[in-house]
Amino acid sequence: MALLSNTAVLLGKELRTEFRSRELLTTTVVFILMVVVLFSFTFDPSSTESRRFGPGLLWLAFLFAASLMLQPCFLREQTNDTLSALRLSVNDPFAIFLAKLAANTLFLLLTELLMLPVFSILYNVPVLPVLHWLVLTFFLGSLGVSIAGTALSAISAQARMRELLLPLLLLPLLTPVLVVSTQVTAGLLDRAPFVEWKGIGFLAVFDLVFLTALWLFGEYLLEE
Amino acid sequence: MKKHALASAVVLLLLGAAAYGALYVAPTERTMGTIQRIFYIHVPSAWTGLTAFFICFVANLFYVFRRQPYWDWLAVSAAEVGLAFTTVVLITGPVWAHPVWGIWWTWDARLTSTFVLWLLYVSYLLLRTLVEEPDRRALFSALFGIFAFIDVPLVFGSIRWWRTQHPQPVIMGGAGSGLEPTMRWVLLFSWLAMLSLMALLLRARYDVEAMRGELDSLQRDAEAA
Amino acid sequence: MKNLDSVFAAYLIAWGVFFAYYLTVARRTSSLREDIERLRNLLNRSK
Repeated sequence: MALLSNTAVLLGKELRTEFRSRELLTTTVVFILMVVVLFSFTFDPSSTESRRFGPGLLWLAFLFAASLMLQPCFLREQTNDTLSALRLSVNDPFAIFLAKLAANTLFLLLTELLMLPVFSILYNVPVLPVLHWLVLTFFLGSLGVSIAGTALSAISAQARMRELLLPLLLLPLLTPVLVVSTQVTAGLLDRAPFVEWKGIGFLAVFDLVFLTALWLFGEYLLEE
Repeated sequence: MKKHALASAVVLLLLGAAAYGALYVAPTERTMGTIQRIFYIHVPSAWTGLTAFFICFVANLFYVFRRQPYWDWLAVSAAEVGLAFTTVVLITGPVWAHPVWGIWWTWDARLTSTFVLWLLYVSYLLLRTLVEEPDRRALFSALFGIFAFIDVPLVFGSIRWWRTQHPQPVIMGGAGSGLEPTMRWVLLFSWLAMLSLMALLLRARYDVEAMRGELDSLQRDAEAA
Repeated sequence: MKNLDSVFAAYLIAWGVFFAYYLTVARRTSSLREDIERLRNLLNRSK
């Protein structure tokens, strides 16, 4: 299908661009690390408190990092007007969004997984026994963040005060992802870990709803 | 002008009648007593706010597909009016909570969701101030408005589920749970009064946008002359 | 009835919010109306 092959090509471009310099990944990882460390100063959590507040803090850090990481997404297509080139190169503008959100999900997931062992050590919370469930949760949550974030970064790239605007638009919109991902992660990091299936289902629904919305309205986001 | 004065009078009458109903006609609630009467302004404000945001959503959709400026005028008016009603919900909540619980705020499901709703539409209005070109502003705010509105059920649902895991004081119990018939009538009438107020405010705000449009075209004529 | 003053306060604050909003709208309306009048007169005179 033309959409998938176009997306694959564009995704390759996104990945190659990022892995050439790796600046987005490195700065995002360092940012999340800083947030996690700063939180420990402000709260100085005991072991039980770590289990209680850890998931929320982790997802807050992810959200803040994402709202910074997603800034360049469409912004860098403005230099040399590469966005017009992208638009001309595909029949369906949705391919552009699919490629970018796939890349963003991947980058987010990578930074989150890199953070996980650090978090586990700093806050004394074992993650290995539930690792695969954590990866699933992180994936579904990051997908939601990326879908909304990629769409909104197309808007913020063309507005004033874009560094503040993107978080301003993104954070209220992503409240459901924050609330539910925290709950599911908390269940997994509990002393008696369990999988919160309702939460996983909800995240999948969120992702589906916004992916559909992006599919329906994406072309208008990229209008001249 | 006359029509406007008449409409305003009707709205004021309805609001006055609704207030009278809430304060004197509705029976006193058994468990909470008099303070519960705030219910008749708190809940209809919430419903009316959501109605206004729904109107905004529909206007957003029409703008994206039709591109006629008056849909954008309706959208921004509905968003602002909806925000006014939502603000009232957020204020009357604490006014109710303080005498009953001794605290001003509780992160109860409905109040928390309403706060997020409020933030969403404040962001919508802020977005509009940050995009200068009018057509672009209308399109982008319409698209964000669409995303924001489809997010609303997800926000309310996720926060309600979160609250069932970690219960906290609930403001006013569920709307419509265990209501006597008189209470239900007063509630519905209050909602009707609020809807009429919403229509009045919507119309007034829409006229501002329409006049702005007229002013712009006059200015263009003046520059051409 | 105790707490009646809280109920009154809630109603008054609510109406206050709506009235304040209505005032801002009315102010914008009248200033726009003035500007439109002014421009119309300007255009009529130059015709």
